[in-house]
Amino acid sequence: MSIPTNQYPNSRALFERACQVIPSGIYGHLGPAEGCMIPVEAFPLYCDHAKGSYFWDVDGNRFIDYMCAYGPNVLGYNDPDVDEAARKQMEKGNCTTNPSPVMIDFAELLVDTVKSAEWAFFAKNGNDATSLAVMAARAYTRRKKIVFFKGYYHGVSPWAQKIDYPGILPEEVCHNIYVPWNDVEALKEVFASYKGEIAAVIGQPYMHGNFADNELPEKGFWQQVRALCSAEEAVLIVDDVRAGFRLDLQGSDHYFGFEADLICFCKALANGYNVSALCGKNFLKNTVSGLTYTGSYWMSAVPFAAGIACIEKMKRLNLPALLKEKGEKLTHGLIKIASEAGFRLVVSSAPALFYLRTADDDSLMLHQAYIAEMVRRGVFMTNHHNHFLNAALSDDDIEHTWQAAKEAWAAVKAAL
Amino acid sequence: MPELDAKTLAYINLYAVLGALENLCEIDEEARRLASRKKPVSVGFEVKNGPSATLTFADGRCTLREGCESCIIKLPFASCEKFNGLIDGTVTPVPSKGLLHVGFLLKSFTKLTDLLTRYLKASPEDLADPAFKEKSTTLMFYVIGAALSQIGNEDPIGRFSASNIVDGIVQLSIADGPCLGIRVKDHRLETVKRRPKKPRARMEFGSMELARRLFDGEVNAVACIGTGEIRMGGMISMVDNINRILDRVSLYLA
Repeated sequence: MSIPTNQYPNSRALFERACQVIPSGIYGHLGPAEGCMIPVEAFPLYCDHAKGSYFWDVDGNRFIDYMCAYGPNVLGYNDPDVDEAARKQMEKGNCTTNPSPVMIDFAELLVDTVKSAEWAFFAKNGNDATSLAVMAARAYTRRKKIVFFKGYYHGVSPWAQKIDYPGILPEEVCHNIYVPWNDVEALKEVFASYKGEIAAVIGQPYMHGNFADNELPEKGFWQQVRALCSAEEAVLIVDDVRAGFRLDLQGSDHYFGFEADLICFCKALANGYNVSALCGKNFLKNTVSGLTYTGSYWMSAVPFAAGIACIEKMKRLNLPALLKEKGEKLTHGLIKIASEAGFRLVVSSAPALFYLRTADDDSLMLHQAYIAEMVRRGVFMTNHHNHFLNAALSDDDIEHTWQAAKEAWAAVKAAL
Repeated sequence: MPELDAKTLAYINLYAVLGALENLCEIDEEARRLASRKKPVSVGFEVKNGPSATLTFADGRCTLREGCESCIIKLPFASCEKFNGLIDGTVTPVPSKGLLHVGFLLKSFTKLTDLLTRYLKASPEDLADPAFKEKSTTLMFYVIGAALSQIGNEDPIGRFSASNIVDGIVQLSIADGPCLGIRVKDHRLETVKRRPKKPRARMEFGSMELARRLFDGEVNAVACIGTGEIRMGGMISMVDNINRILDRVSLYLA
């Protein structure tokens, strides 16, 4: 029996309402524009509730969620252990004048868990952590320039945006230097050209760029970057907001065999509870102590309790190995099904954060048609961004995804 | 106030604004009549340290091509600023060649540019006429489409956006209306004012009315993608960067 295709009248009605009072209805990566919902009619826009590996939209459609709220859902929505820890802490207090000791417990757990961490500083979003990292690097080195790897995403603060983005002043990005990913020689040239001027090199553990296959670091790449930063006395910042804990509970720098000076976490840190962290080496601790950097909710206790429960559970599950196994099983099946339908599906990135592309069409229009058909059949994917796995994804979910893929390719073929 | 690059503006004024005379002659009867000549006449614009192109008028049509080596009337400009002054109406050009044909410049050509100005800087009264509004919007579409390439090639920030665009053609269109392609090769942009055969990315405005509201800054493209009034597809990173250049078009054409 074929999977029924979804309709979204309630989502559409809500979106029209939202457009009256919210700029662009849903802004940012969850919205139809930045979320590349093509065609927009194939996608749900509002969630009613979620559990495990699923969410249900406001029209009652269930989705196997391969975006996991763009990463935060790592154990499964409404994980009972994490939610129970959060509930207990909520009964004691959350946003209070004095922080709770749970903040220290959480920092100690991170220091014990993350290989390169000797301290932890908490905030709310990944952007808070990356911005603090850049501020700390500049304050410590008293230098201005930051080196980025092309295709990067480090958040939405002005320093992390580009000169052609609306609202960004040239002065805000004039100290940004861009080098190609995996290009050590280019990095060496930059260090030579800006001798004594580079405060930091910031990079994601591998290239997660959108609209293109994700690229892992070439052998020895990070080790050479590490050596260059050490030799030139520049701070090495790893933005592990996206991949953090899905590759390696000790940090993605550990996974790739090097040590960052500063490492940023957010998404998978607390299974959806709102907290981010910057962890770092002791030589930067005094500098960070002296920065003016805080927020109204940054020391709320509930996300700390949730984060502790999340990390402990990820350890019990050996989460990276679990997600790798699920990701490999899922994507091998998707490749086979595509091939049987006469299409070539290319999978890149780590299995826990797999990126999909349909080959033989450099416009991506064919791939967009495939993803739209998947979503119509209750499998939420995106056509432009890496996906995320969570621990609650079952073998039955994977089987259902494969069935949807078979039907999606048939629909794509019929429309060609 | 944002700083505008005079050279970029000169390229826009020549290739996008005066270049729209091509389209004016296609869609307006009066313009077609003014461009109907027994013998072709061509006007070359040679801007020192700037663009150089020739407009040729023949058989009711106007065509723009690069360079002005074989033009009949040549208008030299000592700088981009001087040429931009022509478009502003603050500079009166003196032909260096083709003085015998100066009558065309003073009569037909001036009438054509006045007509173009009427469409591009339309009054509320003119826009009340649906037919006029459609022609005006069509011409704005072509001006914007041509300006995109000039900004992507000449403006320092536009060049940054272009440096992030992969090779291929981006199709821009208005549903049931005009269509053009922005051809990108090695981060250089070229506007081709016809429907491309195999675009790598596309963006379509759902109606003339929507396009007009977008051009007038009354609605935002991101919001319209959500409502389905703007359709996009293909290599969205190309559309994304074209939109960043589009943001600068309004700066130059304001």
